[in-house]
Amino acid sequence: MSDLAPFLIALPILGSVVALLIGLARSETGWPVAVVAMIGQTGLAAWLAYQVFTGGPIEYVVGGFEVPYGIELVIDGLSASMIVLIATVALGVLAYAHAAGPRSNPFYGTYLLLVAGLTGVCITGDVFNMYVFLEITGLAAYALVASGRSGRSAVAALKYLIVGTVGASLFLLGVGYAYIATGTLNMADLAAKLAAVGYTSTLVQTAFAFVVIGLFIKVAVFPLHTWQPEAYAGAPDSVSAFIAALVSTVGAYALARMILSVFTVDFLAANPLARDLLVAGAMVSIVAGSALAVAQTEIKRMLAYSSVSQFGLVLAALSVTNRTALIGAAVHLVGHAIMKGGLFLTAGLVATGTGARTVDGYEGLSDRMPIAAGAFAVLALAMVGVPPMVGFAGKWYIALGAIEAQIWPLAVVILASTLLTLAYFARLIERMYFREAASVGDGPTAEAETGSPTGDAVLADGGRVTAGMYLAVLAAAVLAATLGVAVVEYGRLLEPTLELLLA
Amino acid sequence: MVDPIVPPFAFVLLAAVLLPFVGRRVGHALGLLATAAVVPYVWFVPEGAHLATQLFGFDAVLFNVDAFSRLMGLIFGFIGAVAVLYSWASEADAPQTAFALGYVGTSLGAVFGGDWLSLIFFWELMAVTSTALVWYHGGRAIRSGFRYAIFHGIGGTLLLGAVVWHYAEVGSFLFTASPDGLTGAVAPLLAAVGIGVNVGFVGLHTWLPDTYPAPHFAASVYLCVFTTKTGVYGMYRAFPNGEIAIAYMGGLMAVFGASMALLQDDMRRLLSYHIQSQVGYMVAGVGLGGALATAGAFGHVFNHILYKSLLFMTVGVVIYRTGKEDLNDLGGLARKMPITAVTFFVAAFSIAGFPGFNGFVSKGMVIVAAHEEHLDVLWYLLLAGGVGTFLSFIKLGYYVFLHGEYDGAVRDANPGQSVAMVATAALCIVYGLYPPALYALLPGSFAYHPFTPDHLAEGFLLAAAGIVGFVVLKTPLKKTGLAPDLDRLYNPGVFYGSRGIVVAVTEVYAAVDEAVVDLTRKTVRAVKDPNGVAASVTGADSVDLRAGFGTSILLVMVALALALVLLL
Repeated sequence: MSDLAPFLIALPILGSVVALLIGLARSETGWPVAVVAMIGQTGLAAWLAYQVFTGGPIEYVVGGFEVPYGIELVIDGLSASMIVLIATVALGVLAYAHAAGPRSNPFYGTYLLLVAGLTGVCITGDVFNMYVFLEITGLAAYALVASGRSGRSAVAALKYLIVGTVGASLFLLGVGYAYIATGTLNMADLAAKLAAVGYTSTLVQTAFAFVVIGLFIKVAVFPLHTWQPEAYAGAPDSVSAFIAALVSTVGAYALARMILSVFTVDFLAANPLARDLLVAGAMVSIVAGSALAVAQTEIKRMLAYSSVSQFGLVLAALSVTNRTALIGAAVHLVGHAIMKGGLFLTAGLVATGTGARTVDGYEGLSDRMPIAAGAFAVLALAMVGVPPMVGFAGKWYIALGAIEAQIWPLAVVILASTLLTLAYFARLIERMYFREAASVGDGPTAEAETGSPTGDAVLADGGRVTAGMYLAVLAAAVLAATLGVAVVEYGRLLEPTLELLLA
Repeated sequence: MVDPIVPPFAFVLLAAVLLPFVGRRVGHALGLLATAAVVPYVWFVPEGAHLATQLFGFDAVLFNVDAFSRLMGLIFGFIGAVAVLYSWASEADAPQTAFALGYVGTSLGAVFGGDWLSLIFFWELMAVTSTALVWYHGGRAIRSGFRYAIFHGIGGTLLLGAVVWHYAEVGSFLFTASPDGLTGAVAPLLAAVGIGVNVGFVGLHTWLPDTYPAPHFAASVYLCVFTTKTGVYGMYRAFPNGEIAIAYMGGLMAVFGASMALLQDDMRRLLSYHIQSQVGYMVAGVGLGGALATAGAFGHVFNHILYKSLLFMTVGVVIYRTGKEDLNDLGGLARKMPITAVTFFVAAFSIAGFPGFNGFVSKGMVIVAAHEEHLDVLWYLLLAGGVGTFLSFIKLGYYVFLHGEYDGAVRDANPGQSVAMVATAALCIVYGLYPPALYALLPGSFAYHPFTPDHLAEGFLLAAAGIVGFVVLKTPLKKTGLAPDLDRLYNPGVFYGSRGIVVAVTEVYAAVDEAVVDLTRKTVRAVKDPNGVAASVTGADSVDLRAGFGTSILLVMVALALALVLLL
């Protein structure tokens, strides 16, 4: 059944084209097309993931060109997790977007294109191909951010475009150096040939530096995160949720894949400074991201900085590279996608319902929107890492891994990150539950008066809170609260994959 | 033989609990019975470790009977009963006697403990109950009680430290686990100082003359018996083979206590210094080690308890009948209070070590032991202490009972007090005239003959020296005012020292608090208005911390350059 692998990419692209074409005939028909495509995609991804976890990795060579010259698709445990995650989250956000919009067909076309790009990054076994998919992802994401009909969205998208393109270009340069050194682009082949060239060779080291810095931009590691808060905050709510949940996640996946499958653990062992670079990036990101999140007054910007901090944790796991930490990384990638996606959706829901987009606007929210406030609180606590929720599990494994590897400063920062996360979520929970709202419906007016840049941003998205929006938010909250239970089993399923990666 | 069913402290403590509720008369009768019952009970229980149990999860023995603890139990039980009778006759309240019985019971618990854990447990309880007994009197006793509690808190903590250290070395609290006493590098030192507080080492003794004159005169009868003597017992358990430095400390205590006593005018304060002096003989005996010295020390514990409680009882009767505590206000009471006077002189001759009275026998044993060891300095110290004792008791007896005439009507002791005093005085004489009765109770085997010409001559010489000395010193002594003791020095020291510490801690706390509040305020400002803070730091008019397009790309390039520099 491994022949189904290419359809993971083909199906969303097909859906995207169909949505565009039908849109020529009838407007506002994109949503059903996208839903059908995504249901198919989810089924396909689930089926393939089942195959991978029961039968081992799937390899597929596109067009019959043999490896190492042809393009290969590889699905192992890590990529299987990612494709299921991408399909599920995309479907969930669709449920939210039905009422929240945007409603245009080109939006859904781009949306499906982004799914194709994200999935492609995850299942490709070829580094140049990965660049292509990263660019597809990037371009689709720029377009989606720009789909908000405000000046702020456009500026945010432009900044995202420029910085993101630089990142992708650096990645491409890195791939080029690796190609010069080895003459191959296939990941498995590269791994073998890079080892043959020698990990201390200047070419290989340069390639690593370019690839890692390029992907740091995609992951939004401090201080290369500058595109991210504006992009998340400026985009429509559905888009914020979608890209916050998946784009950086897939960037982190790409980084993990490049470090573990292409450069391998031996490269890190041969270049201690390379590991130090990752450790430093992780520590700075965790601390600075949290500190900046505390300083924000706008909810979505705060959540965006929170992502900087959380991806610092994933990066920490990648720098530790032992089994425990990598299980933690996989768990946290999945968990963070659900939690952060859920939080952005809830933020959108609250904005739709009350107009509140600032920290102060959340005062007394538990009276005005009890369910939304409850979901937000659950997701926030999961993010802080309250056991047994999923945020705890990921963080726990990563911290344990750091301790096992005896990288003490990192372990301390990871454990402190819980406190830092609490710092920015506690004040929201306090405002939602322990304060009275200043006055009824003060949210939008207060913002209008203060001339907040969000004022014109997203009220255009739609003014009605629907069951679909609640469904998506609650699903995220329930998953965040309960997935922690499944983590041990998931870790067991991931074992064979990690064994291959760490070999 | 009697089977051990309950530890001896159990029924004494039970009586203590019941006493306040059953009325004064019944309660005192109950207390008398409970303490008196201890005497035959510990006499008939066979030797050995009984009632082994677990205390706080460690092996413990609650009823350890050997020659030492049996001697302590016998005399504690007897004197407890006498003191309860005396308390009843002296109009002591039921609650006071209840506290006193609690104190007696915990002391019994301490001496019958077969391990360091139960010893220290009851040791601390003893400090608590005796403090309560002092406090109960109110007034001046409250302040004294506080100082007493502080001293014993520190002493008990040091002993606890010694016991913990000992446990770390040996792995068991039981006495049987280490026949040589406390082991470990620091444990003996800690124990010596900790127990030294209880026995009144010179320098650690000021609580003693400070506290014992303070409470009700019947309470003083209890106080003068249990704490210091349990201390001697504990000292023996810690150093069963002796320790010469402790022996010398005992000699110093004998001389220092007697000299200070000589300078006192308050009767109970004078007697209190004599406790220190007499305990000095016991500590010297324990410190010397060996069969004769150890037996002498415990014989002296036994005898001392008899005559010292008798002294406090007679002096108590004087206070009871006259209401006066100062020697200079009294005089010529011998004619008016014949029973009190006679029993007082029996006790005085005993404590001074006059031949024919019990103090002569046991004090002689310690002095001879020192002589046999050829420790001449110690020997002279102990003899000098004897002269001082004669001197001060001639002074006390002379001014209270003989000198001048007492104006006004004074009755003698009432029947209850008289029974208590006469019974005790009789024992002083019995044990003085027939020493084998004492030897039968003492631990170890030794040979000692008190009534040799040498010893007799020594006793009479000391007495003569005392009389001559008193005649010579009578006038100058009269002119000495209140003699200051070390506590004049360290009471203010402790007061200002602790006040300094409190002030310093408060100031440091305030400084830290201020710094934290300041930091928090700055943090809040930085979080609320990062641009403004950055502007004020850099000096620019306004700063926008959000990175623009150019800055973003610059950051990327800097990061890349850094990575390349690092890696290549």
